[in-house]
Amino acid sequence: MADDTKWGIAHIHASFNNTIMTVTDETGAETLAKSSGGTVVKQNRDEASPYAAMQMAEQLAEDVLDQGIDKVHVRVRGPGGNLQRSPGPGAQAAIRALARAGLEIGRIEDVTPVPHDGTRPPKNSGY
Amino acid sequence: MRVAVTGTPGTGKTTATEHLDTDLDIVHLNDVIQEEDLYTEVDEARDSKVADLDAVRDWLDGREDVLVESHLSHLLDADRVVVLRCAPGELERRLIERGEPSEKAEENAESEALDVILSETVRDHGKPNVYEIDTTDRDPAAVADDIEAVLAGDRDPSAGEVDFTEYL
Ligand SMILES: Nc1ncnc2c1ncn2[C@@H]1O[C@H](COP(=O)(O)OP(=O)(O)O)[C@@H](O)[C@H]1O
Ligand SMILES: [Mg+2]
Repeated sequence: MADDTKWGIAHIHASFNNTIMTVTDETGAETLAKSSGGTVVKQNRDEASPYAAMQMAEQLAEDVLDQGIDKVHVRVRGPGGNLQRSPGPGAQAAIRALARAGLEIGRIEDVTPVPHDGTRPPKNSGY
Repeated sequence: MRVAVTGTPGTGKTTATEHLDTDLDIVHLNDVIQEEDLYTEVDEARDSKVADLDAVRDWLDGREDVLVESHLSHLLDADRVVVLRCAPGELERRLIERGEPSEKAEENAESEALDVILSETVRDHGKPNVYEIDTTDRDPAAVADDIEAVLAGDRDPSAGEVDFTEYL
């Protein structure tokens, strides 16, 4: 029997001040939905909050479910913001919200870039 | 006093610190790591030596009144940390002009857009010890003046005043 459900990729970009989420098709080439912290909260300082990430995730999930995507792999980039000590609190909240909104979650990968020159930090020193 | 000047490669740390008028000894840490073999392995994909931070700490131990300049300097003890910033598009252009491969310029630009180094700095040193300086569209002498103001105690701490996520 053919499996007619489709995979997408949820990209979570979590900076110091902001969170941006996009959902693309499985190849990463086509953007199906996009949201940023600024569109769901009024205060600048809340753009990187777990609350903003949750709101964004709910909207995105609804949007891509309508487009026939019901499973996503997740790629997280960035430290996640607002001075929280544990890395990526916004990202964790977003992933849970995506799941609650009815998307099945596949692989979760951290693909945070590494600032590098002739030297680079060891793996455990960053995020 | 130990001052760290950090920031994504391409933000202009080496250039700006060469313009500084200061009594502090300036340590260009990337050079020290290469010359003194203070690394554990080589990241072949990035053509980059993985710093041995304990060996770096030992090398710095006992050196007073230094300004340590490197994108790794915020991972070490410091009394004050200056974080240089640069809009990712301009940072990418600077690195390409310096002769770096495009993958390296792009990964550093993405790191800058995501505030990776700023976040690590605030995590490890706390906001009151962090001084963010935006170098976008500014010449190295002006950036050096701002660093001198930090050294003199004439500048307030700051972090997260730029938002480069547009680039993403
Ligand atoms: N303020 C500036 N404006 C424009 N270009 C700059 C500035 N500072 C440095 N550069 C150029 O950008 C490149 C990166 O500067 P560099 O000092 O090597 O950065 P870093 O040490 O932070 O990696 C060099 O080619 C340099 O000439
Ligand atoms: Mg340098």
